[in-house]
Amino acid sequence: MELERTSVKILQCAKTYSDGTRGLLPSSLDVHPGEVLALLGPSGCGKTTLLRLIAGLEMVDRGGVIQFGQQDVTYLPVERRQIGMVFQHYALFPQMTVQANIGYGLRIRGASPQELKRVVGELLDLVQLNGLEHKRPAELSGGQRQRVALARAVAVRPKVLLLDEPLTALDAKLKVTLRDEMAELLRRLGITTIHVTHDQQEALAIADRLAVMRSGRIIQVGEGEALYRHPKHMFVAEFLGRINRLKRTPQDIANHTVTIAQATVRCPQGLWPELFVRPEDIELKPYDPHLPVATLLQRSFLGDRIHYRIDVAGQGILTAEAHRDSPYLAGDRVSFTIATEHFMPCENDQ
Amino acid sequence: MSTLFIQLTDLHIREPGRLAYGRLDTAPYLHRAVQTIELLRQKPQAVVLTGDLTDFGRAAEYAHLRECLAPLTMPYYLLPGNHDDATQMRAAFPEHTYLGDSGFVQYTVQLGPVRLITLDTTVAEQSHGALCAERLAWLEGALNDSTEMPVVIAMHHPPFKTLIGHMDKIGLLQGAAALETLVAKYSNIERVICGHLHRAIDVRFGSTIASTSPAPAHQVVLDLDPEAASQWILEPSGFKVHAWDAERGLVSHLMPCGTFEGPYPFHDGGKLID
Repeated sequence: MELERTSVKILQCAKTYSDGTRGLLPSSLDVHPGEVLALLGPSGCGKTTLLRLIAGLEMVDRGGVIQFGQQDVTYLPVERRQIGMVFQHYALFPQMTVQANIGYGLRIRGASPQELKRVVGELLDLVQLNGLEHKRPAELSGGQRQRVALARAVAVRPKVLLLDEPLTALDAKLKVTLRDEMAELLRRLGITTIHVTHDQQEALAIADRLAVMRSGRIIQVGEGEALYRHPKHMFVAEFLGRINRLKRTPQDIANHTVTIAQATVRCPQGLWPELFVRPEDIELKPYDPHLPVATLLQRSFLGDRIHYRIDVAGQGILTAEAHRDSPYLAGDRVSFTIATEHFMPCENDQ
Repeated sequence: MSTLFIQLTDLHIREPGRLAYGRLDTAPYLHRAVQTIELLRQKPQAVVLTGDLTDFGRAAEYAHLRECLAPLTMPYYLLPGNHDDATQMRAAFPEHTYLGDSGFVQYTVQLGPVRLITLDTTVAEQSHGALCAERLAWLEGALNDSTEMPVVIAMHHPPFKTLIGHMDKIGLLQGAAALETLVAKYSNIERVICGHLHRAIDVRFGSTIASTSPAPAHQVVLDLDPEAASQWILEPSGFKVHAWDAERGLVSHLMPCGTFEGPYPFHDGGKLID
């Protein structure tokens, strides 16, 4: 089934609630045709507000513009925007079978029985619910219901699909399975999708690009891997994974270095008073007096990897992560290296 | 946790200190209803007010209504009834932008998984209601664009005969049959919820259930004589609690306003108390 690929343009959109609360500060964002974009951030960051503005469930403050393709939808009510929605508490029609749920919108729009059968059949294939078409929602698992909801949402060929924390209500294991399933399904559908979540792993797994939000603002937009490796802002670095902070002296800044345990290490050029580095980018090595040295304080075996806490002169306690066969033990004197490209210079307004 | 919303209707709020029908101070009753809503064990997501919010549609009445509703800790949505004036209502609630600037007060609201679609059944200067072709066409459009979710239609005048003669004379005199034909086409309409009658009444309507709700203050006397006198009575007041259940659909409860003796347990140590 071929779905429309519509771009979404958000131009200077803000939302002020009647009590004066600012749910969203003026924000702009481009979602490319057929792209899956995640709005990611902690609760209260404005991601749900932005989604509700795109859906037409809330009206944008004066001055903001929302476009689907060439069409200005800023003042269109929700039911005129041709969006598909799968919300956290999506509701299937309890009295209808799976196929009736999926085909309902088409039937109402006057699709012929043949077309209805064809489209519902294609969607059942796509979401792999063949054999369950005559079941009612109460007889399905959480994951199967989710897939029915998704199939129902796209059956009427919406311009844009909106997913609001679609996996939040599910248990952790099921969430991982469904996350991967949904990522694959959205690729197969090729529909422009905006996905709201507070779960960075879910965003990384499902979305092509992420818009990380905080306090009513979009902080950074980019591909998940790029944001993880090259965050521009400390908040993004920290929200997407764990980080260590390394302080720099004025001499360090002048020399493009950072001093770690009396060793001077080269780092990217820039006037950053701090640099950040991810635990997995601190590579522990056997003691070597020519390299930075640390005392290993704690070793935690996490199954697939080992988490270390190390005490580094001049920098305090850092965390490092290594493969599960990493041999170091608490009390060991160890050395470590950090590759130049793994230092992350970021803005920090906290 | 299911989504809950409240239908509260026919408040008939007057200017502070003025009595409805020379007898009834409606505001304290609304305070009691608001309190009952706030004390529910599950917090509703929203309150839908299905018309007759004031008695004469005057600015001072709406100002008083606003004050009375202020303690609600969830959003509320307004619909006009035959005792209302949409212009005054819009002026008193300027932040309720869904009311629009002019024309019929018809809008859609997403209440969790349920989409609420409201209809304006009022006719200027008249007590009876009507749905003209324009309003029905708008509804059809809204229904066509809401096929992905369960729908509840809210309106003031019930589109059915209630057998209370004097109320049926000021019922939905135009458009009821067309509405029923339209509603019958959409099997995702869970309910048509109405006010106007100050009583709980349920009927089969199209392929769904249509109902009215009691009012927070006065009720219309239950008298099914076609020539029954137009009278009100202070029977127990109440409102509707509509809860969405993923496996059953919409489940509607009737809740009386006020505080009552109890609750007491049925069982002690796993056994029914003898």
